[in-house]
Amino acid sequence: MFESKSGVFFVAGLAFFGFAFLSNALVPAMMYRDLPEKTVEELVNPNLRYQFEDLAQRYPESFKKVYGTPPEETGARSEWYDTKIAEALRLGRKVYVGEACWHCHSQFVRPVSNEDLRWGPVSTSGEYQNELQRPVMFGTRRVGPDLCREGGRRSNDWHAVHFFKPTDLSEGSPMPQYPWFFDGSPDKPNDRGLAIITYIQWLGSWLESYPYYEDFVKSPVAEISLEGDAAE
Amino acid sequence: MTSPPANRQRTMFIVTAVLAVLILVPSGVGFVNKLFEFYGVIKGEASGAFAFTPVVNYLLASMGFLCLMLWAIGHGMFHDIERPKQTMLETERMLDEQRATEVDS
Amino acid sequence: MADENSKTDESTPATLPTHEELVDERLVAWYFLAALAYLFISMSGGFLMAFQLIKHNPLNGIEIFSPGRWRMVHTNAIAYGFLANAFLGMLHWVIPRLTLRPVLDRRLSLFIFCAWQFVVVATAVGLLLGQAQGLEWGETPVWIDPVAQLGLLLVAINFMAPIMKQKGPMYVTLWYFVAAFIWTFLTYAMGNFVPEYFVSGSSAGAVGGLFIHDLVGLFVTPLGWGMMYYFVPILLKKPIWSHGLSLVGFWGLAFFYPLQGIHHFLYTPIPMFLQYGAIMSTIAVELVVLTVVINFFGTLWGDGRQFWDNLPIRWFYTGMVYYFLTCLQCSLQVTLTFQALIHFTDWVVGHAHLVMFGVFSMWLLGVMTYLFPRLLKQEWYSQTLCEWHYWLSAGGMLVMASDLILGGLFQGWSWAALQPWDASVEISQPFWAVRVVSGLAIFGGQLAFVYNLYKTWQLSRVRLS
Repeated sequence: MFESKSGVFFVAGLAFFGFAFLSNALVPAMMYRDLPEKTVEELVNPNLRYQFEDLAQRYPESFKKVYGTPPEETGARSEWYDTKIAEALRLGRKVYVGEACWHCHSQFVRPVSNEDLRWGPVSTSGEYQNELQRPVMFGTRRVGPDLCREGGRRSNDWHAVHFFKPTDLSEGSPMPQYPWFFDGSPDKPNDRGLAIITYIQWLGSWLESYPYYEDFVKSPVAEISLEGDAAE
Repeated sequence: MTSPPANRQRTMFIVTAVLAVLILVPSGVGFVNKLFEFYGVIKGEASGAFAFTPVVNYLLASMGFLCLMLWAIGHGMFHDIERPKQTMLETERMLDEQRATEVDS
Repeated sequence: MADENSKTDESTPATLPTHEELVDERLVAWYFLAALAYLFISMSGGFLMAFQLIKHNPLNGIEIFSPGRWRMVHTNAIAYGFLANAFLGMLHWVIPRLTLRPVLDRRLSLFIFCAWQFVVVATAVGLLLGQAQGLEWGETPVWIDPVAQLGLLLVAINFMAPIMKQKGPMYVTLWYFVAAFIWTFLTYAMGNFVPEYFVSGSSAGAVGGLFIHDLVGLFVTPLGWGMMYYFVPILLKKPIWSHGLSLVGFWGLAFFYPLQGIHHFLYTPIPMFLQYGAIMSTIAVELVVLTVVINFFGTLWGDGRQFWDNLPIRWFYTGMVYYFLTCLQCSLQVTLTFQALIHFTDWVVGHAHLVMFGVFSMWLLGVMTYLFPRLLKQEWYSQTLCEWHYWLSAGGMLVMASDLILGGLFQGWSWAALQPWDASVEISQPFWAVRVVSGLAIFGGQLAFVYNLYKTWQLSRVRLS
């Protein structure tokens, strides 16, 4: 058994692998069975809607080119916006994954290392039960800041300029430039630009404490200034 | 296999013994220390008995593996366990010799 | 099962087949060359990101050279381009020689070779076009996943055929290989399909963690150790110290290793008791690793001189020392105390480089150093260049790993102290600069190797004509 083909094949190959899969993957899956998985459409919320309409006003030409013109009638208009937001979120996530944003920015706040002071409330399971976290974007490295409480912290045009050339806004940032999100200049975001900004503004927009900086509490360590953190 | 000369064997024994002491003593001290701490938790706290539950689970699971191993020993599965390592070298030597004769001819 | 343990030795066929009947040498060489090509692609990706971090990226703002996309090419090219190709080449040499039976079908081998190159190139192109899948180490665009899955199945069938005909107890190398074929197939299926189509959120995170972990532990590790159990005794011309102890190592790895997936996502919303379980088995596997390392150093005992005189042996044992260090590091960093500080930092990046390059790539480069002269039937053009290759790789790796590990500590402390985010980027600059330099050293080493290989090939052509 220990040195035979069948032993290695069945016990090590299948049984141990299966046992590990059971304990490491199926157990959490079963524990979260009761949390419904939200579709992208269900994720649209007023905070995000506000940001999206802000995009429409700030970049009317680009917006019109990508999404067309909203209907005049109020009810249809509202519905139209919600569908377009869902569309933008889907593409935004695709861009976020394709450009490897998640390899330098994490999306979870840990209960340790003063992270709740820096970013906001500690992450909970429910926040991740949705279509846009499939596969989940926890991330394993933070070259840049965590993003799961990023929505609403900064304005849309800040993001546009920052994506176009990060060093213009945060000197010393090692983040690469993404000029291909724009048609030549930061005031002309294309479909990918509008989508990624929508996606970033969505992160954390579901929280009651949104946007987090409004209940920003100063560090208990008096001599360290937090201004740099907010200004970057 | 020829056994190494006696003085080599003695050196090997001494080195092994020194290493064993160096590793076993600190880890033993650490383990006993933790065991007392654990005993303290079980005795001292009201819900301390719960600390014992996962340990029992682990012990039960390892019992299964112990039985499996005893069964395997009973069936002679550890018999002549060192043979494959000799066979493997022998095979390799034969292949190389064959190749060498080919090149020569 | 009892008859498998009978004393009669039927493991050798009646007549001894020749080496040429067993091993398709051309294919081995092709696999190695493909592997080396991807090694250079992977290193280029690493440099692009490394230069971006020190803000000296000459190609900033060009879509196709986006450092983010190349960062994914970097990891995928090393895992599926370099490691997988080099392992496949090695398997085509080792398995037929150990079992004295050729692989199932030579045409199938050739087909697998072409299919696998297609998978790797398609992955790279897909990543550069921005079609990544959101799974670390599995960024392969979703449409390639089924093809890769099929390729892995064919690999398993092709190599399992000779092993399955073996009678009696098998040598430890073969256990590792058998297990690796099954595990790689299962791991790839689990990681690429489950979090994409079946679960989301924290559960997907758990599966993702298990995938990252199993890819290293159940694909690369068993193939790597199986390879060591074969090449080390052959080069030292004496059997492994204890075949019985290797049993402990194998079953310990098989049991404990897959249980650790969640340790990649500690302090996440994944249930805490599962995190504790993962931590416990990670510490347990360190003891298992110790038995394997002891076994190999027991084998070397008495032949210590070989470490200096025999270059492949030096590659192997350096890799083993790095393996021990990286596992020791792992058993420390997996504790929640360390995690609070070092998670998300360059500490982990240093750890990953030490494992993937310092251990497994070094072993494979050692195997190539040993096998290329046999494949070309020509001694190395220059031993000095071989030495340069070793010292630049081993030295560069040591500097890179210690530099990143140290840098990670500084980043962790900076964050915990609630300094402005920019401060953590600023203090990382010197560490990132040293990383570029050590990367250049490693790159130089590989250049020396490839130049040496080219010259050796030229010599072999001259001799043939």
